[in-house]
Parts: sequence; structure tokens; C-alpha cells
Amino acid sequence: METLTHILNGFAVSMQPINLWYTFLGVFMGTIIGVLPGIGPSAGIALLIPITYGMNPTSALIMMAGIYYGAKYGGSTTAILIRTPGEAASVMTSIDGYEMAKKGRAGAALAVSAIGSFIAGTIGVIGLTLFAIPLTSIALKFGPAEYFTLMLFAMTAVSTLTGKSPAKGVLATILGLMIATIGIDLQSGQARYTMGIPEFQDGVGFVVVVVGLFAMAEVLRGLEGIYSGTSAAAMKITGKLWLTREEWKRSIGPIWRGGVIGFVVGVLPGAGGTIASIMSYTTEKRISKHPEEFGHGAIEGVAGPEAANNSDTAGALVPLLTLGIPGGGATAVMLGAFIMYGVQPGPLLFQNNPQLVWGLINSMYIGNVMLLILNLPLIGLFVRLLYIPQGILYPLIVAISAIGAYAINGSVIDLWLILIFGIIGYVFDKVDIPVAPLVLSLVLGGIMEQSFRQAMTISGGDLKIFYGSAITVILLVMSLISVLLPFIIPKLRALGSKGDES
Amino acid sequence: MTDRIIFVCTLLLAGVYFWATAQIPSLELGDPLGPKAFPRMLGVGLLIAAAMLLAEILRARKKAQSASDSDTLRWEKQHWIVAAVAAWTALYVALFEPLGYMLATLIFLLGLTGYFNRGRHLMNSLTCVLFVIISYASFTKILGVNLARGIIPF
Repeated sequence: METLTHILNGFAVSMQPINLWYTFLGVFMGTIIGVLPGIGPSAGIALLIPITYGMNPTSALIMMAGIYYGAKYGGSTTAILIRTPGEAASVMTSIDGYEMAKKGRAGAALAVSAIGSFIAGTIGVIGLTLFAIPLTSIALKFGPAEYFTLMLFAMTAVSTLTGKSPAKGVLATILGLMIATIGIDLQSGQARYTMGIPEFQDGVGFVVVVVGLFAMAEVLRGLEGIYSGTSAAAMKITGKLWLTREEWKRSIGPIWRGGVIGFVVGVLPGAGGTIASIMSYTTEKRISKHPEEFGHGAIEGVAGPEAANNSDTAGALVPLLTLGIPGGGATAVMLGAFIMYGVQPGPLLFQNNPQLVWGLINSMYIGNVMLLILNLPLIGLFVRLLYIPQGILYPLIVAISAIGAYAINGSVIDLWLILIFGIIGYVFDKVDIPVAPLVLSLVLGGIMEQSFRQAMTISGGDLKIFYGSAITVILLVMSLISVLLPFIIPKLRALGSKGDES
Repeated sequence: MTDRIIFVCTLLLAGVYFWATAQIPSLELGDPLGPKAFPRMLGVGLLIAAAMLLAEILRARKKAQSASDSDTLRWEKQHWIVAAVAAWTALYVALFEPLGYMLATLIFLLGLTGYFNRGRHLMNSLTCVLFVIISYASFTKILGVNLARGIIPF
């Protein structure tokens, strides 16, 4: 009953004119960020943190969440019209969406991704509303040892499931944790790895790392693309921005299934929107009566993955809000934003600050309606962004990043860091080292070390505390499984194909 | 080839990190682990990552023994352009405070747009000038964000 009151109060918070305005601003910027190649939701949110510093936390977080799920809507537009995902998770949309556009059905492809995103986004928020409460009651039993093992699970899952090579994922994770150890140690007051640079005593800010790895690196890649002539031109929207009865009938099933797949995948750490949309695509192809159409403009191949990558965002907010532990790069940046505003997500947040949590969650229902309007009747406006010459766009992104970074401390060191991490991100991309695990472990590193040391202080230095409770044992086993999974799956596949042959 | 370079770099980094960890002075008071224990674990983690990488390299070699070594890190022509952009950005950062946000950004933007959006001088210069003025005014005057003033008096 009390929860219901909180949820209803949350609606009152999210309906306040100021919060409606920030929801709109968030989803509007999210759509732009999604449409534009070069700057994704992670860098977009990170850049806004220093600029919105003095704002009311509820409004600021509503706006940042809007950017996070709004970017998924925008990403599909770029995928359909230039076959380049504007945002990583729309990669599957670029296959059949672009084929549809080539056949003069760009309007239908854009319409189905907007409608699919809306339905699935709403499914996701309903799921988030329903799952939040039971999870927080489990999370209340968590002590430092449980938190440490939970973070271990999140990191192992992210490091082995993102990217092509588990070894490089682990390497990225450790690098993130190492960067997190730079600065004054909170318990002993001892400076670590500061290299005599006074600015490093407070640690390396995650904002500059994220902006460097995501925005600056993308600028370097984009300018390289312009130079070698590989950047693509945008197609014009053709066909009516609506679906025929036949297309609608073919899309509704994939949308529902994609919505559920996306939410479940989103809740689990490591997988994320890209895997959700790939899973939805392969599911649809498998159960389709005409699988041969996939890859040649099958509307199911747009509807399902688009739905999946949108409900994924709501799913990904479940562990972030209830446990305070993000399961991927973008939610890690969201956690960083929460912490910057002095808000610690987790079970206690639901008890101590229900208005903020439920105001934020409920703003997502409203945000999804706004996004439907922005992405259907107004899509023509956003498509114009694709006609901005990239030779102007990329340099401006560097300047915007410089403003955001300089705004944090007014220090040039942060600008140097953006450049250095930009080069690192560019090189990592070339050699297939994923950057999402690095960002996640950088944000979690400090908390992880503290909970490890607190647990050890409680147990008097006895490691038994990490396998002393049912929760820690389950989490340790799950971490172990996520490490072994990449090695087991190919073996199972090989066994399966051998079985088929015989 | 690339993976072998990463493997060697990882080992080197682990060595440097262990050495730097040993340099941290520690006073173990009430904290059984001190500030060095967690970093030491990370050093071990790096070694584990290196071992995993070695396993992957060996497995890949076994698979593609006859195939030609396509996995080589080659310096290609377009990498010069990336290096040049990075150097131009470094110059921008170096001049950010001495010249101030407006002037440094204007020079930086004019240079890059002039090269990557060639031939459209009017469009480029208009965009750059407007961007610099509007961003400076809105961030410093409206949002109250401090941007380096440099040699410009306002």
C-alpha cells in the first residue's frame, strides 16, 4: 500500500511542469545524440554532468535518463537512412532497415522502429516498476561482502561478454580498476599513483575518461573516415511514414517478443542493447515463415531489434536503481551522475527518497510518449541533422567536449586527459579491446575497493566472509560461470554440430 | 602480431604497476589490508589477463597455421591524418588558457573545418564564429560555467 502511494506520488513529481520540461529536454537531446554519429549517450550524459551541477537532482537525473533512452530512438534513424548505427545497439536495424529504405519503404521502417520502440519502452518501464520493489527487499540484506561479490559478477560478466576476446575484456576491466586507484586512498589518506600531479589527488575524473574514450575517439575515427572517403551519405525519406495493414500484422509479434527479450537481457549485467537486438533478430528469423527475406528488407528484422534495444534501457536501470550497481557502460555513467549529485542509488534510495526514484521511473512513461511524437511526425526535422557536413560536426564535438571538461575543475589537465583517452580509445578500437568494461570498472572501482576492505575489517582479515552467505556464494558461482561461458559455448556448439552431422 | 604487442605491453604495465605499488608508504593502523593490498590484487589480475591473452594467441595460431598472417599492425596512410588531428588538438589544449577559450577554439575549428569540409569557406567560418560566440556567451553568462578568458578582456 505504501509502495502504491509512493508510485502515485512519483507521478505527481514527474508531472510537475519543471520536470516535464526536463523530460522533454532529455528525450529531445537524446534523439539528437542518437541521430548524430560521433556522440553517443554515454559521452552525452558525461558532458552534461559538469554543466548541470547546481541543478535539482531529480530534474537533472530525469533529463539524463531521457538522453539514455531517447538516444535509442534516434539511433535507428541513422541506421535506416545511412546504414551506420547512430548508436551501437541499432546495428541490427541497419541491415533490414537500410534494405527497406532502398526499396522506397524508409517511411515504414522509421515508423515501425518508432512504434516498436514506444511499445517496448513502455513494456520495459512497467517491468522496471514491478521488479524494483522485490529486488530492493533482497538488496537490503546486502553487506560489504555481498556488494563486493555483486560488483565482481557485474565486472566479470561485462568483461567476458562484450567484445570478441574475453582476455581483452578482462584487460580493459583491470585497466579501469587501476585508473580508479589513482588519487588519495580514502581509508589511509595515502596518495597513490599521482605522479606528483596535484590534480590527480582527487583521482582521474570518470567524465574525462568517458568523453575521451567515446566522443574524442569517435571524432578521430570519423575524421579518418572522411579522409579515406568511407563515410556514407544519407538517403531521403521515401514512402508514407506509416505502416500498411500487412506490415503492421507482421510487426506486432516481433515488437512484443523483442520487448520482453530486451528487458530480460537488460536486467542481466554485461549483455546490453546490442546483444538484446541480436537475440531478437535471430529469434525472429528462426520462427519466421519466410526467413529468406531477412537481410533483404524484412520488417520483422527492424521491429524486433528496435523493440529489444529500447526495453533493454529500462531493464538496465533495474540493477542500477535497486542495487546501485550498473551492468554496462552507459548505466555506469548514469551511476557517476547519481554520485555527482550526492544521490546513492540502491535499496535505501527507495526508502529515503521515494519521490526521486519514482519521479524518475514514472517520467519514463511520459518520455516515451514524447519520443513517439518526436520520432514520427517530427522525424523530418531530425533527419536534417544527417545533412550537416561531418567535416563541421566532428570538430564541433571536440569543442563541446572541451567546454564540458574544462567546466569540471577549470583545469587544462582535464583537456589533456580527454585527448589522451581519445587516442587510447581509438587504438583500443583498432585492436579490439572493448572500452565499456573499462568505464564500468572505473566507476565501480572505488566502491569495490572500499567494500572489499570493509568486509575484511569486519571479518578480521578472514577471506571466509566472501563465501559465508548464500548470496555471496550464488554471486561467486555466477561470476565463475560468466568467466567460463565464452569457453564453454564454442565447445557446446561444436558438440551440437557434430551431433547434427551424425 | 597485434595481440603479441598487447601481451608484451600488459606484462610491462604489470611490472610498472607492481613497482609503483611498492613505492606507496603504508601505515597499517586498524586497516588489516592497507592501501597496497587491492592494487596488488589488480597487478595479479593483469597477469591473469596476460595469461588469457597468451592462451588466445596460441589457440588462434593452431587454428590458422597455414593461413597468411593477416593480423599485422600496419601504419597506413590514413593514420597520418589521425596523428595530425591529435597533434592539432594538442596544440589547441596547449593554447586553451594562454589565448583563451574563444580565440583558441576559433583557430582550432577553422583549421579542422577548412581541411575536412574543404571549399566551403563562408559556411565554415560563419559556423565557427557563431559557435564560439554563442557557446561562450551561453556558458559563461547564462550557465555560470568558467571558461578560460585568455587575452580577450570580456
